[in-house]
Amino acid sequence: MTGVTVRSGGDEGQLAARLEHNIHTLFGRSLYVRTIDTGSCAACESEIRLLLAPHYDLQRLGIFFTPAPRHADVLMVTGPVIRAMEVALRKTYDAMPDPKLVVAVGACPLGGVYDDDEFAWGRLDRVLPVDVYIPGCPPSPLALLQGLLLATGRLAVKIDHVSFEVHLEATK
Amino acid sequence: MALWFIRGLARRRVTTRFPAVIDPWVRTLPSPPTFNSSLLTLTVADKLVECCPSRALSHDERWLVFDVGACTSCGTCQRVVPEATGVSGVFELAARTSAQLLRRFPLQVGDR
Repeated sequence: MTGVTVRSGGDEGQLAARLEHNIHTLFGRSLYVRTIDTGSCAACESEIRLLLAPHYDLQRLGIFFTPAPRHADVLMVTGPVIRAMEVALRKTYDAMPDPKLVVAVGACPLGGVYDDDEFAWGRLDRVLPVDVYIPGCPPSPLALLQGLLLATGRLAVKIDHVSFEVHLEATK
Repeated sequence: MALWFIRGLARRRVTTRFPAVIDPWVRTLPSPPTFNSSLLTLTVADKLVECCPSRALSHDERWLVFDVGACTSCGTCQRVVPEATGVSGVFELAARTSAQLLRRFPLQVGDR
């Protein structure tokens, strides 16, 4: 990993912009993804698997899946982060080389279904720093694709431009 | 091969970016709800908060807060209060912060 220089003591916003630029140049056309299932129902996994199908063709974008966390740039976490998987999750995160990104996939790690469950953390950001949140139960492959491109800085955030409000004129 | 590639580019089927043309049937799949804030009263908001199985909705005196990240697109709120809710048809909702996933809708506090 060359080209990544993060100096301490600088302005935080500047540092963040620099890091974002570095992530874009490093991961723009070559991104390795490791997925980890922390107790999900496997619906998210089946959608993630569909990313490799010819319909979505993930590899044309320079994004690949790897089974080894030491080769991975992105950790895609599905499931509500059950406490039994916490050690495995942290070990996977620690094994990944810097700089690394964490993507929370689906409603479970976003606090949807098991927010108050005593056997799970309920939210991924209670355990790991999350870079991109992908909502959906399960998120469609296009939503996952958008999340991965958002993580690498190749796509802008779309949700800020989405209105969830129905106006009366539109419904009539 | 080259002809196939040029034809594909013209029809926007070959791309190294996010696909510009999305299949039209995608919009018919379950997606997060939309809310008609002119019909949102405190009683309607109570009903919505009570019916949501994934606790994506909460409200205080003035605002209905919708956590898009927690929503499982189950459609329960659309069955319980069909007049004040609708289907958004939007899926590409990934965000960088969890605050971007929280949506606020003003409640009509005058009439109960």
